Amino acid sequence: MSASFPTDAAAQVAQLWPELWLAAGIPAVLVADMLLPTAKKVATAWLGIGACLAAAIAACSGAPGSIEGMITVDAMTPFVRCLIASLTALLLVLGTGQRALADRGAHTVCVLGVALGSSIAAVSANLLPLWLGLEMVSLGSYGLAAWKGGDRRAAEAGMKFVLFGGLASACTLFGMSHVYGLTGHLDFAGIGAAFANMPVVALAALGLVAVGVAYKLTIVPFHFYAPDVYEGAPALSVAVVGLAPKVGALVALARGVQLAVPRTLAGPEVLGTALAAAAGASLLLAAFTALAQRDAKRILAFSGIGHAGTAVLALACLPAEGALRAALLQVLSYSVATLGALACLAVVEQDRGSCRLEALRGLGRERPWLAALLCVFLFSLAGVPPLAGFFGKWVVLQQALGFGFGGARSAVGVAALLLVLSTALSAWAYLLVVRAVVLQPAAEPARPSERVAMPVVVVLAICGAAVLAIGFWLDRCVALLA
Amino acid sequence: MMLLAAVFGPLLFAVLSLAGPVRAARWWCLAGSALTLAIGGAALWDFVARPGADFRLQVEVPWSQVLGASLRFGVDSLSAAMLALSGLITLVATISGFAHERSPRSYHGLVLLLLAAMNAVFVTLDLLVFYVAWEVLLVPMLLLIGLFGGEQRRYAALKFFIYTLAGSVMMLALLVLLWSVTPAEGRRVAVPAKAVAAVSIDGGQTLHGLRVERSDTTPGAALVLLVPRSFDLRHLALQWQTWREVRFLGMPLSAFGFLALLLACLVKVPAVPLHTWLPHAHVQAPTAVSILLAGVLLKLGVYGLYRIALPLFPREVYTWAPTLGWLGLLGILWGALVALGQRDLKRLVAYSSVSHMGFCLLGLGSLTFAGLAGGMVQAVTHGLSAALLFLLVGVLYDRAHHRRIDGFGGLAQPMPRFAWLLLVAALAGAGLPGLAGFPGEFLGLSGAFTSSAPFPLLGALACLSVILSAAYLLGMVRKVVYGPLQHQEHAQFADCDRRELLAALPLVVGLVVLGVWPKPLVEALRPALEALLLHVRSALS
Repeated sequence: MSASFPTDAAAQVAQLWPELWLAAGIPAVLVADMLLPTAKKVATAWLGIGACLAAAIAACSGAPGSIEGMITVDAMTPFVRCLIASLTALLLVLGTGQRALADRGAHTVCVLGVALGSSIAAVSANLLPLWLGLEMVSLGSYGLAAWKGGDRRAAEAGMKFVLFGGLASACTLFGMSHVYGLTGHLDFAGIGAAFANMPVVALAALGLVAVGVAYKLTIVPFHFYAPDVYEGAPALSVAVVGLAPKVGALVALARGVQLAVPRTLAGPEVLGTALAAAAGASLLLAAFTALAQRDAKRILAFSGIGHAGTAVLALACLPAEGALRAALLQVLSYSVATLGALACLAVVEQDRGSCRLEALRGLGRERPWLAALLCVFLFSLAGVPPLAGFFGKWVVLQQALGFGFGGARSAVGVAALLLVLSTALSAWAYLLVVRAVVLQPAAEPARPSERVAMPVVVVLAICGAAVLAIGFWLDRCVALLA
Repeated sequence: MMLLAAVFGPLLFAVLSLAGPVRAARWWCLAGSALTLAIGGAALWDFVARPGADFRLQVEVPWSQVLGASLRFGVDSLSAAMLALSGLITLVATISGFAHERSPRSYHGLVLLLLAAMNAVFVTLDLLVFYVAWEVLLVPMLLLIGLFGGEQRRYAALKFFIYTLAGSVMMLALLVLLWSVTPAEGRRVAVPAKAVAAVSIDGGQTLHGLRVERSDTTPGAALVLLVPRSFDLRHLALQWQTWREVRFLGMPLSAFGFLALLLACLVKVPAVPLHTWLPHAHVQAPTAVSILLAGVLLKLGVYGLYRIALPLFPREVYTWAPTLGWLGLLGILWGALVALGQRDLKRLVAYSSVSHMGFCLLGLGSLTFAGLAGGMVQAVTHGLSAALLFLLVGVLYDRAHHRRIDGFGGLAQPMPRFAWLLLVAALAGAGLPGLAGFPGEFLGLSGAFTSSAPFPLLGALACLSVILSAAYLLGMVRKVVYGPLQHQEHAQFADCDRRELLAALPLVVGLVVLGVWPKPLVEALRPALEALLLHVRSALS
């Protein structure tokens, strides 16, 4: 035992390389932030980008395995870690394009913290690392949401986020204490086995745990903070708060559903119906409420709620083969399109101070390429083929309609039809943005606008290429997922 | 390869037009439409010379196994006629908008994008590619109306987009369902000997590229085929019986699928009462876009019913045929009556489109050869006559900057050529024998009269529209071009210039040729349509 310990430890540490790189980035950025003069603080962001790229590369080469039932690395982990790390790298690149970003070092630390938390949540197979990951995400997000110092809306967004987030965390912790008290286990597999003959209690306890995850995923009814936070926080922060954490939370939910839920509940009758109901509610609420919005970022918030519902719908078919893959493709296509759209909105926000629809008017005349790209991202989110978002919806529908035939499974089928209907409804909301950007003239004459910063152009190009390419090389993308 | 060029050529030209120099954009647009016309015309000529029900110029480029979709392209005579129409109408629209001054790069680029998507709908043999192209073409249309249209262009563009998107979204569910209910290893399908003639067999060994597992020459015996899971329309059609057996949400999948498809197509046609997007879109759209909309886009709905509903859901088409007929009649009469009351030239032409497209539904519903042929011929000829009418309304609008019918009068004096062209277009629209409006309506009506009840009644009622369309179209001609010159300032109007005549010429030639001698077109369509009818009949027995 003692003889094999060092090699074991080395192998176990090797499985955590991506998280370790992200974690190492945080002190490095803090130190660099102290040492560098104000004019050169941008270097801290590049340090963070380096850490993310290292994490992404390390993620690709990881072998499956697990660490003491705490952390598990499986077939989908490389893709998930890689996605989280690359999204974070792109966000930091986007940040370097914003000259006026306050307190850049601390900003980079928060972004890295959110990425680290999401990554830990995505690999956790135990309630403790899950809790650790969720809280790391929370701490970073709370700060980022209020990053516009002095702005009342941003402050309100941050405050709402903290208060409701604290409540959600408390629910999760409360649920975890019940789980531990009832089963004596914290690892997902142990919980699932121990709960096998007490289904009702299990449902209550695990349901409480799921609150925190659903909060990060913005699933109805834990979505209510999202529109305010999206509207109040700067676009860059929205992208940090809204993308990587959702990936992490979704994977955590998938793993919990697969392992921690006892067999008696895991079938389509209970769990499938519950997830389908949550998904259907999210889809409907997002589609209808988005219609009434007059702020592009709020519309994106409701889009996030709807897309989270779509991904959860895929999880509702979970014992079925391919369900995870569908959820991941959906998240991938959502993330690249949303990142692109928020990158465009960040430019608008700098130019015009707001993302309200009135403020977006005339963008097509002032910055035609930016406006065209924004429309491409919005059409992708709306599910217009052959853009990435269509294929994200397609694979989920393929799963859900193939699964949800008759009897206990019909809840999934009904939710799938709701997905189809909400696609048509939510297209109207995206069109409101497209109308403002392309079709409506500006209220004031066009201002001479400065060129879009190079880092922003790079991020937009990458996202735009991804949105077009995912459909083109769909087979390869799917092969990467798992 | 030719069909790949018909789709990806315009797409490439669209990129070149968007990214290239301003002055080159319109030439790219011209090249794209000429290319389409050449390919479509060659394909159609091939069917005129050698009639057949087979799919020609087939090409297949693999796309994705996850989706089960390939770029399977091929044309039969129906698609060839539509492809030629799409090329011709786009050519006319390009010439009419040749001098477009506001952002010509994006304008011509969007027209080319639209052309590529329309061509893809017409030549694809893959249902998923069909759906993708069907949805893609909404985006350039939205932008063309919304950016370059009239006063209320934004409202009209959004209304068009939402109507058509909402109409086709259930088609997405249908596609996914067809895929989900098929096992991954494919399905064994027995084809009754009666139905075999409806689908082509290559030398007795393969059917649509599928190996025949057991074939027997004794009457009534079946071929057995292993149909793989894919979106190949021919393979999906072989499984029409399966779609009836699978149930979804308490109804047969075929019923759900047919209704989803019907909704998508009826919005496009447009059938009353789903037509209300059309007058707005037409009135607000610039002339060239109106030409494209009336000339090609409306035909997509009819084409979808022929290409997908008939092969995949033959029993449902039969069951719903009277409803289709009633909807057709409703469109014919409603459109004509509303057109009678219009004061705006474009709205009048728009409602006349609603009326004329009703004949396509009536003909299709009759499920006779004459009716089916009438529907397709009407689709082609209405494309020509409506395009000419919109072109001429555009000519007038360029000079007068308004479209009120009572704001004109006696224009034959300053604009004799225009007056002649308008008369030809109106007479063609009114179905005067000798011009192309006649054969389509005549075939559609004779199909209705030879079909079972209630079609003879529907046909008799539809005959009323001949009077009504003569009333509103000739009334319009009378008010606009005849009589004394109403407004003295109109005396300065220049007659149609060379570009406008050049745009009108192919349409007039088409109207006269198809009016005098529609037989080659009908004969080219015959084998494909008879195969469709045989498919329906064998599904009924």
